[in-house]
Amino acid sequence: MVKRKVAALEKVDADLVSLQYKIRRDPKSYAQEFYDQWLSYDAQRHIFVSSPSTASTDDVKKFHDLVDIVAHVADLYPDLTAPFPDHLKDLLNQHHAVLHSELREKVVGSLCLLRRKEVIDSTSLLTTLFPILISTPSKTLRSLLYTKIISDLRESNSKATNHRLNRTIQTVLHNLVTSDRTSTKGMWATRITRELWRRQIWTDAKPCDVMKEACLSDNEKVVAGGVRFFLGGDKEREEMEDDSSDDEGIDIKRVKHQGGINKKSKKRMKQFEKAVDKVKRQERKKSAPHPLNFSALHLIHDPQGFAELLFQKHLQNTKCKFTLDNKLLILQLVTRLVGLHKLTIISLYSWFVRFLTPKQAQVTSFLGSLAQATHNLVPPDALEPLVVKIANEFVSEASASEVAAAGINGIREIAIRQPLCMSETLLQDLVLYQRSKDKGVVMAAKGLQSLYREVYPELLQKKYRGKDATMGLRSGEVKLRKFGEEDTGGIEGIELLEQWKQEQREKKLAEQALIEAEGGEVKKIDDDEDGFNSDEWEVGSDDSDESDNGWINVSDDEEDGEPAKKRPKQTQMTDEDKANAIAEANRISVLATTSILTPADLAKLQELVREANIDKAMGGRTSKRKKELIARHIDEGVTAEDIELPATIGKKSTKEEREALAREGKPGRDEHKSTQAIRKSKKEAEGKSSTNKEKARKKNFMMTLGKARAKNKRSLIDTKASLKAHVAKAKQGGRRRNGVA
Amino acid sequence: MGSSNRKKKEKKKDFAKAKLKVGREKAKAANFTDTSFKSKSISINQKSIIAEGVDQVEQFKQNLSLAVAAKSDHARRDALAYLVNQLSARPPNNPVGIAGLLTKLLPLLSDGSPPVRTGLLKLFRVFPPAEVGPHVEKILMYIRGGMTHLSTDVRSDTLNVMEWLLEVAGDDVVSCPGGWLKTLNSFSCMLGWNPSVGSALVSKGWTSASKTTTIGMGSKNGREVQARQIEVLAKFLQVGFRQETPAPFSPMAYWDNIYQLPARANPFAYLNLFGVPRDEDNEMYPDRISRQRIFEAKWENSMVAGMTGAKKEGGLVGRAASGMEKVLNDEVNGSKSTQA
Repeated sequence: MVKRKVAALEKVDADLVSLQYKIRRDPKSYAQEFYDQWLSYDAQRHIFVSSPSTASTDDVKKFHDLVDIVAHVADLYPDLTAPFPDHLKDLLNQHHAVLHSELREKVVGSLCLLRRKEVIDSTSLLTTLFPILISTPSKTLRSLLYTKIISDLRESNSKATNHRLNRTIQTVLHNLVTSDRTSTKGMWATRITRELWRRQIWTDAKPCDVMKEACLSDNEKVVAGGVRFFLGGDKEREEMEDDSSDDEGIDIKRVKHQGGINKKSKKRMKQFEKAVDKVKRQERKKSAPHPLNFSALHLIHDPQGFAELLFQKHLQNTKCKFTLDNKLLILQLVTRLVGLHKLTIISLYSWFVRFLTPKQAQVTSFLGSLAQATHNLVPPDALEPLVVKIANEFVSEASASEVAAAGINGIREIAIRQPLCMSETLLQDLVLYQRSKDKGVVMAAKGLQSLYREVYPELLQKKYRGKDATMGLRSGEVKLRKFGEEDTGGIEGIELLEQWKQEQREKKLAEQALIEAEGGEVKKIDDDEDGFNSDEWEVGSDDSDESDNGWINVSDDEEDGEPAKKRPKQTQMTDEDKANAIAEANRISVLATTSILTPADLAKLQELVREANIDKAMGGRTSKRKKELIARHIDEGVTAEDIELPATIGKKSTKEEREALAREGKPGRDEHKSTQAIRKSKKEAEGKSSTNKEKARKKNFMMTLGKARAKNKRSLIDTKASLKAHVAKAKQGGRRRNGVA
Repeated sequence: MGSSNRKKKEKKKDFAKAKLKVGREKAKAANFTDTSFKSKSISINQKSIIAEGVDQVEQFKQNLSLAVAAKSDHARRDALAYLVNQLSARPPNNPVGIAGLLTKLLPLLSDGSPPVRTGLLKLFRVFPPAEVGPHVEKILMYIRGGMTHLSTDVRSDTLNVMEWLLEVAGDDVVSCPGGWLKTLNSFSCMLGWNPSVGSALVSKGWTSASKTTTIGMGSKNGREVQARQIEVLAKFLQVGFRQETPAPFSPMAYWDNIYQLPARANPFAYLNLFGVPRDEDNEMYPDRISRQRIFEAKWENSMVAGMTGAKKEGGLVGRAASGMEKVLNDEVNGSKSTQA
């Protein structure tokens, strides 16, 4: 007799997967079967819970499978499986330390699955996972929980911001950081917050508050996490955004084309629809208004108090034993805050004194931080001793050229922000270093000189003032700003907008009356030319327009931009100029005060400002210092590299450095090689042959010799014949008959 | 000369004889394939090469672990047979103790191969009955798991174990925590006499087949299986409703109660001092009255309905069902007699 074949389900490893499939297809008919499995799950759970640590591998595996099937169909039998989420939660809470790793993973995964099927809500899931994340000793479980938590938060914020959930979680994180300031548990708060910030899921002030608390923690790691967030979180966020906008690799045309060629099937159809959908979504995303995201540094509540606390707790406190790197990070944050919000922490400057020696490790970072901490409201008295100290310690004939260059550059960075910090003798002394032999020192000294030519030429010796500054001084145009003096405020670029509106109005008028059209055109051309034919008041107003282009609020004097241009008028028309300026001011205030700027207006304004900015940068009429300030966004701080920059001038780089520089823009190359060589080796690898030219070049010399000799020996007649034949052949288009039909 | 020279050299290289040097490995051939691999564990088919002459305890333990972990069915079955031999010897040789055996072997209840399962039952049958009592709760958990197993073979084999357990420690089975209601639940689920699932579906306006549709049920031996299930259920109910004989009077009972160590394990289990709070299903029903009460409240209707249905089918199933009816009638009479 033939041996009886056992049906698949009669074998013992009866198929839970197929049962699951059947249940999903027809939940009502398979209720009884599910109930069986539910009971057996329950029995297995009891077996497991009675001794979780000593459960046999068989039991664990069975339990694992049963949990899996119940989780997958739990949404179909809600009243039967009502206690299931609680079972899982209890299991995880009580036994996560002893659970078998696969089972543990399955339980976590099942909970997340239940969340996706909306059997449980996010809050309950996260409040279950979070305590375990903090307390578990297992690294794999931690990383699993971390990813699950992040992905769940992302998911629940994907359609619309889930404010309630976010608030709950943020409060949990806040409490985590503040409850025990000495423990490393706060790390998780910083990690989660930073990740969600990077993904732009959390963009408000609350996560900043969490990070602020993290910065004030006692644990070094937590503090470093918080500080790094403020220093780099926004940049990370921008990069993330750029990355995500880059990966739009779908070529809709190609997909369409493929659809036309390949066999038509439901799957392909779906693929096509998906691609179209994705492209549409991306387009919608592109046209959507850019979300206004404030940087974390701006969202801090009470920056003065925060900076003071941070400084006192971690820097001024001599008992604080953080590493130098972390202290530097904290210092950077404190000084960034001081510079950005123009805070006043007087003791900070005196604290700096003992670090400003060339022997101090990472002294350039200290110099950069000091520059960051300087703004126009810092009393010069506080800065002067520091500047003197830097000059004494760094800048002397005896010190190394790099040290001197870094010192002078550091002083310059401070002086950009507060020119009053310098005494006359010191400046004159420093400027003399432009006679040094080292190029770096020369550049740094010249930088300092050109800075003072613009802001405070009186301090320089006459021969170093330069032409522009001397004339500016004589005409009273270059003026020293007193301590605490500020620009009068206004809306950036409002006059540009007004001018543009005026033009639009004129255009309309011109269209209405054809005769006037010519006149309008002419006027506009005048505008564009920035005309020097100063007979109409419009041109005059245009001029002053240019002069105080309000887009750089950072700097001081309005007329700074173009002293050269004003020259012809200066002697005669100062009165008129003043009158114009007053009229201008009135006009601006008229537009700003009489109308409400619509979003369209604001957009146009931004555009105009950008255009004007570019014009000015291209024109080369702006001073170097202003260009520099335009280039550097106010949010970016001064780094050690900025300070070290002049010292690197004139230094030969090593081969490795050059290679690294060359490879920077070309990722995906395993060797540093010329493009030609790479192409060639690629061709060889593909088994393709070389070109005729290459063959000729490679041809053995001895082989060519005979022909060359024979050519030389030809008679004149032969030569003529061959030349003629060559010309004739060329006329016919060569051997290939190019260009001949 | 140029490339041609180089090519010639390359060609020659193929035919050059490789030089062998002392202390240096032979060069690998051009078509050499690396077949080495890394693994965290190595499993060997033949578990042990040590045979006779080892001390008995070691051998017992070895066989025990073989019975649980051996990959091949035969090895497991043989190991179980060895254990049966050892336990049935006079005097029985069991260095691990019943508790140790049970913890290791109970997962085998739902083992894949039938001979292993029958071997396990044989092993259980040679256990001394008195020592099984304390472990009933644990065994019952596995039995309940086996009774709701996907495969019918496992289910019926589990029933045999259940029968054995009822014979050996019937009172413990029905009175341990979860032993009464949960086991009834599993039985009804097996038979498809299930009130909870049915009502859940009916409430949604659906009717359903009361019987399980698991493959094997409708086949030829499906009837036998069902008859057997009813039979075992009847036995279970019989044990549950058995008249308790009051303990004979002994003058020392009072003092024993105070000063003697209790004879049974965990004598205060009914207080549930250290466990999690129990729900209705997990509760202990230590005496007949309480068992009857809860049975009448929760199960009587569906059981009777299922039973009458089965009786109508006639044949094997009908016979088993009438056997069960008798048990239930006895119970009614018994309860009347106690109430009277």
